[in-house]
Amino acid sequence: MHSIFARINNTSALLSSCLMALLAAIAVSTFVFTAQPSGNVNIASVQVQSGQTRRYATKRQDLAYVDFNITADFTPLFNWNTKQVFLYLQAEFDDRKGVKNEVVVWDRIVRSKDQAKISVIGKNKYNLRELSASFKNISPASYSLKYNIMPYVGVLTYGEAARTTEDVPFPPRKTRV
Amino acid sequence: MFSEELKAFRRLGLRYVLLQVLNFASVIASGLMIWKGLGVVTNSESPIVVVLSGSMEPAFYRGDLLFLTNPPSEHYKTGDITVYKIPGQDIPIVHRVLETRNLPPTVDVRQYTKRYGRLTTQSKTSNQTDPQLLLTKGDNNQIDDIGLYQGIEWLERSHIVGKVRGFLPYVGYVTIAMNDFPQLKYALLGGLGLLALLQRE
Repeated sequence: MHSIFARINNTSALLSSCLMALLAAIAVSTFVFTAQPSGNVNIASVQVQSGQTRRYATKRQDLAYVDFNITADFTPLFNWNTKQVFLYLQAEFDDRKGVKNEVVVWDRIVRSKDQAKISVIGKNKYNLRELSASFKNISPASYSLKYNIMPYVGVLTYGEAARTTEDVPFPPRKTRV
Repeated sequence: MFSEELKAFRRLGLRYVLLQVLNFASVIASGLMIWKGLGVVTNSESPIVVVLSGSMEPAFYRGDLLFLTNPPSEHYKTGDITVYKIPGQDIPIVHRVLETRNLPPTVDVRQYTKRYGRLTTQSKTSNQTDPQLLLTKGDNNQIDDIGLYQGIEWLERSHIVGKVRGFLPYVGYVTIAMNDFPQLKYALLGGLGLLALLQRE
């Protein structure tokens, strides 16, 4: 009854259930923090050029180049259970056939509170392309800055920090000089 | 060395041994039931997965435990972290969605995808959403995943095991350790079996 084995068994069972309860409490506590970050997305320019990408099956296709300015403050999202915040800027547009496209053009991982005030003048990190290989007659795109909060333990949450006020049209293809 | 235990074993008799075997079997069966039940609720063939690679660092490290759901009526969105399995590859991959292309029913998905073998005959079930083309990328990788798709150009719903909803660090490392050192697995299983037989309750 009171053998070493029984004692070890009891202690470890108690310890692990305490740990589980603590982790559950931490995971649940994040629902109390409902911070809403605010920001601003501004698209400085969009250019469309024909490009050759060996990686994709459609070899010659239009690629859009986006220059943007982002200012945003993500500090309210950081609480004791925030491991990192994943930020991404995405373009949303419909094409002629009614396909709804959402394409991430830029992202950043923010790992601490003192990096959470964002002010970026940048251009797209990832290719912005169209299924039909051409941006001709594609409706203007809306750009939005979204975030994903990743906790130390618990549930992943998503949100939107900013969005362009007006949709940005794709210009006609620029021919290379 | 084990003479004492053996004597005790003999005293307890066959009936007791059978009872313990039954106990052991019921533990295993209920474990399996919980796993399969979770699979039904989350609509995912594998609702809990262990991270095996470092391609999503610093978000997920090797050995972290992920909880997945795969609601049939919901579209996947950019930023979602999906677990997908390419046909012909054993190991599922945990990566983030970079592009989504939601096709209306009027557009035929086949013009954008090269399909092989069995997948060509797969029909759309009634409660599924319109076809969706996805492109993923690991947070820690420089480029997107097209190179990992083995000739497929876009990921589709049928490749996806689920979307990551919850996260628990380190716990899955036990399974990685057991895979790396198979002896550990047998030692653990044998020890558990022996304990179940010898323990008197």
